[in-house]
Amino acid sequence: MKNTSWLIRREFWENRAIWLVPAVIGGLLLLGAVFGHVQFGSDLFRPDGPGGGVPSQVSLYALSGVVTSMFLIIMSVYSGWYLLDCLYADRKDRSILFWKSLPISDSETVLVKLLLGLIVIPLVYFAIADVTILFMALTLSLRTGAWMASGLWHPSLWLQTQGFWLYTIITLAVWFLPVAGWLMLISAWASRAVILWSVLPPLAIFIGERWMFGTYYFGRELLDRLGAGYARHAFNVTAGGEGWTREVIHRDSGDDAITYPTSLWHLLDPVGFFGSAATWIGVAVGVVLVVAAIQLRSRRAEI
Amino acid sequence: MPPLIEARELTKRYGKHLALDRVNFSIEPGRIVGLIGPNGAGKTSALRSLLGLTNYEGHLRVLGREPLRERTSLMADACFIADVAVLPGWLRVDQAIDFVAGVHPKFRRERALSLLEKTSIRSDSRMRELSKGMKTQVHLALTMAIDAKLFVLDEPTLGLDLLARRSFYDALVNDYMDETRTILITTHQVEEVENLLTDVMFIDKGHIVLDCSLDDVARRYAAVALSGAELEAARGLRPFYERRTLGKTVLYFENPDFARLGEFGEVLTPSVSDLFVAKLAGVAS
Repeated sequence: MKNTSWLIRREFWENRAIWLVPAVIGGLLLLGAVFGHVQFGSDLFRPDGPGGGVPSQVSLYALSGVVTSMFLIIMSVYSGWYLLDCLYADRKDRSILFWKSLPISDSETVLVKLLLGLIVIPLVYFAIADVTILFMALTLSLRTGAWMASGLWHPSLWLQTQGFWLYTIITLAVWFLPVAGWLMLISAWASRAVILWSVLPPLAIFIGERWMFGTYYFGRELLDRLGAGYARHAFNVTAGGEGWTREVIHRDSGDDAITYPTSLWHLLDPVGFFGSAATWIGVAVGVVLVVAAIQLRSRRAEI
Repeated sequence: MPPLIEARELTKRYGKHLALDRVNFSIEPGRIVGLIGPNGAGKTSALRSLLGLTNYEGHLRVLGREPLRERTSLMADACFIADVAVLPGWLRVDQAIDFVAGVHPKFRRERALSLLEKTSIRSDSRMRELSKGMKTQVHLALTMAIDAKLFVLDEPTLGLDLLARRSFYDALVNDYMDETRTILITTHQVEEVENLLTDVMFIDKGHIVLDCSLDDVARRYAAVALSGAELEAARGLRPFYERRTLGKTVLYFENPDFARLGEFGEVLTPSVSDLFVAKLAGVAS
């Protein structure tokens, strides 16, 4: 698809923050690793540290866990903002009158922007986070010597973190499709105050339901969609049981128990995720919202 | 050959307001048509409908296509500049050329580059760094490099200074116009375009009040400047509009008896701008 690749390139021209923001974060983390007080679990797992004696792979979990969650949080905020702005900005500055003078369909335009928000931007963050973790691991190993290095260099663990990320990107995209669809619909529709419009209708439904029926179904579903629901559906979040390792560490101060996944694969729950009704109801709602956004886009020129 | 643009009972509503009220017109290939009207007359609504940018009622075909439903394929053969300075500020000139070259099958990059070479615009400038006039030049270069059958211009020089306006129209006339192209242009600055046009359409309050070629204007309309007794006598021929100027009164006639009119004085063909004023004022009274 020739148009698609040009449309993606255009998004990168317009939104340089897509790669600039994660690049800057990655750069800062690296600077911290090079010059800062050694952090990210390294002191914790020092042989004489408080977590001394903990299995070495846990230090890689700790490092990649901290770095990726940072990237993930910033990525979610940025992606959300991107989707909310992407069909609004060109109506506001009237450049839509230029884009629409080219033989590119509205569905192509909208779907590429959806692809950016749900897949491409997360992939960029993933790639940069990955490189950051690699260099941080290298730096920390060099700085701390063998005890840290032994924990960070497990080729199979590195492979696991890649798989973990890809699974996360795919499931995030599926789970948050209705949210993305809603943001794009507002972006295609609102003539100003997109943030306000994206929040007000759900809030109104929540209050309306509470006032008329005294119930909270909508609010509960919404919070679950935006919050805990994703982790519950996509991952095995309960520690312990099969796939988890429990080790007791003996210290002078007494024994200490630690539980960690034997492999990251055990955390993933693709069967549960793709077998869940909540996933597919979300997809259906998302498709309806995206189609509505395309319809609106084709009927609206500037604001 | 079917008309390039065909509108029957074309209507555009904004709530209760009728921006276009059952308008009929057609445009033949190879014409340069001026769609002229005061602000709020329905010009932009008409163009937005033609270009598939908005929904409408009635029958409308542009290059054989239904604009709103088939905008994508229509835009392969038609191009437009709707208003000035709509190129986004973050876009660089070379990116704009790359992008259009990438997505438009009928875009000729060399042509765009040679048009831009004549200007002082650097290819690594962002649109936000350019003046309004320069932005318009970039947009015009991009658009003129497309081998389109139909070129629509909506108020292309609005807000530009005199020099920029002049160079815009010079470029259009010298580098673009030939018999194979059809151009539809709206403006309320009639004087600027009247030498370009082959046809005029006047639009007012959602209605077309005049639709004819400039040749027909000479055949159908006449103006005579008179004073005194001759003026009184000529009024008997029922002018549709009169205007006082420099001690004389100019009378405007539609389909007059040219021989009889000639007896009063020199019969002139009214300019498009005079005719526009006469027609619209005539409608108002």
